[in-house]
Amino acid sequence: MSSIRVDNVSKRFRLYTDRAGSVKELFTSFGRPKYEDFWAVRNVSLDVEQGTVAGLIGHNGCGKSTLLRMMAGIHFPTSGEVHTDGRISALLELGAGFHPELTGRENVYLNASILGLSKKQTDQIFDRVVDFSGLAPFIDSPVKHYSSGMYVRLGFSVAVHVEPQILLVDEVIAVGDEDFQRRCLDHIASLKAAGVTIVLVSHGLGVVGDLCDHVTWMDHGVVQQSGDPETVIGAYLHEVNAVEAERLRTEEGSTDSVSLPTRTAEAELVDDSGQPLEFAISERPVNLRIRLPQELADEEHSYSLVIETESGIIVGETEMSAPLARSGLLTDDFTIRCRFDPLLLAPGIYVGRVRIHGRGGRLAETMGSLAISFRVRSESSVPEGMFRLPATWLEDQG
Amino acid sequence: MKSVRELWAYRNLIYNLAQRELRARYKKSLLGWVWSLLNPASILAVYTLVFGYLFDAKPPVAGNGHTKVFALYLFAGLWVWNYFNGTVLGAIAALQSSGPLLNKVYFPPACPALANTLTVLLQAFIEAGILLVIMILLGNVGWVLVFFPLLILCVTLFSVGIGLALSVYNVFYRDVNYLVTIGMNVLFYATPIIYSITMVEEKNETLARIIELNPIAHYVQWSRDIFYGLTMPSTVSLVAVPLASFLFFVVGLSVFNRKSRDIAQEL
Repeated sequence: MSSIRVDNVSKRFRLYTDRAGSVKELFTSFGRPKYEDFWAVRNVSLDVEQGTVAGLIGHNGCGKSTLLRMMAGIHFPTSGEVHTDGRISALLELGAGFHPELTGRENVYLNASILGLSKKQTDQIFDRVVDFSGLAPFIDSPVKHYSSGMYVRLGFSVAVHVEPQILLVDEVIAVGDEDFQRRCLDHIASLKAAGVTIVLVSHGLGVVGDLCDHVTWMDHGVVQQSGDPETVIGAYLHEVNAVEAERLRTEEGSTDSVSLPTRTAEAELVDDSGQPLEFAISERPVNLRIRLPQELADEEHSYSLVIETESGIIVGETEMSAPLARSGLLTDDFTIRCRFDPLLLAPGIYVGRVRIHGRGGRLAETMGSLAISFRVRSESSVPEGMFRLPATWLEDQG
Repeated sequence: MKSVRELWAYRNLIYNLAQRELRARYKKSLLGWVWSLLNPASILAVYTLVFGYLFDAKPPVAGNGHTKVFALYLFAGLWVWNYFNGTVLGAIAALQSSGPLLNKVYFPPACPALANTLTVLLQAFIEAGILLVIMILLGNVGWVLVFFPLLILCVTLFSVGIGLALSVYNVFYRDVNYLVTIGMNVLFYATPIIYSITMVEEKNETLARIIELNPIAHYVQWSRDIFYGLTMPSTVSLVAVPLASFLFFVVGLSVFNRKSRDIAQEL
């Protein structure tokens, strides 16, 4: 059974052009439309089954937020229809509708009523809302004295406790501190378990990949691909990488390019026998084969690999390679291989950046462009965090 | 009909928005609620001074046969006007200022205007209450006061209908706000509030008939009948006024619903 059905929906916005260049133009343009049509969403059809989590991904301005707003009933489709079944809570901006002069308590009641709750229903959830937000000591102070983080916490807490049947989330989990973000994600996961239908718009592909049952990638208002998270996210990243590579290539040609030549790394995951792999598997050996451009392969250089998460958090750096054995003969591109045995990274998407060190281990350059994105999948239990800490458990006798 | 049911479902929001407005309005002010009395009192004082004293306006004798106070005669009409004026201007402002909220959450866009109506209604009750207390002290009260709820209902339906329709057009053309501000000034003097309809009849019969087409003139007359003159509103107006009020409400609401369907993007 579908909770949300989007049926061949399009949305046109009118971009008004206020500018009248001259008096003459003002007169000649009179009667002509003063706007341009902009189609934010074009012929999109999408079904979200009850109790599932759907993700919407795509670059900024691709229409995913507009689509979400149409699901929420904020925008009305220009053509096509959106059917929703159940109480909707939309997390588009947390604490929307808070009045700064009113206390936290008053604002909880106000915000809950904006989301369609009666006073009696709000009474029932009030304690849970305050508990979750962790703002019990401040609940009777005006919210204008709250920090922005407290504001957001209260807003989120109200929005998820109104017992929605459909929850629409637009990038809002990206606010608040680390601890609160975790709790948000946990809570969303528990809502999912409780059978709430969730639509998630996010740039955090890790979150999307973890939570979603189904992902839709939008581009310029149309659906590019829709299906299982791994495939769609993979295709999306492939496209993003291709666009970036293209950009880097064109930048290379321009006069003000950086001193060191930038080249896109040609790297791939291979097994020990040299066969290419689609993704690495946690706790198994894997090789990262990197093709160095000729001008970077130097006998004085050694190399290391810095691994980052998708969001740019550095997981760690490998040991440095020994200086290259071959010398003076480097007339062609050169391939090096970094072997992990076993790979301790948790499942996810990572970026490997090649660092080039000069003689004596001095850091010469981190080659931003010499980076590859690779995926790690798991065939066993998933460790918490980014990697499994190597440790041994022992039992000491009394 | 569906929209009325939806508004009913969101009645708690309307109530809360009204409460928010009232709570926030007098926070950090020393006199607080007293301000809501001082404003009409000052206007009443000025009008009484100018029209009652300087222009020497002669009010008719009140229902008890001896009271003849211009200020009371004026106030019996003025509170109706204040209610109408506050509802219409408030509806326009309320929709315009709730743009940020309507872009974040879905709720029926008529809610802010209706919440504003509630706050103005409270003010109207306060003003009518003061009038009633004075009238009781003067011994000028009668059974016709039973028409008060009907009067309030009719003015509400009429004002909300007008306010909603204007507020939605104001979103598309901001000229509406300026036009309405001017229109309200004109309408105030085109309504027999500081003067009586009989004064117009003496001067120009046709003009009086034209003025009677103005529904607010009838509400003012009703209020004067039940608070000041203690007479029954005329039978014709007892049928026509509620009917017209209802019609204005239905038309106003349907105009609003038709135009407000996709209003968030325009705000």
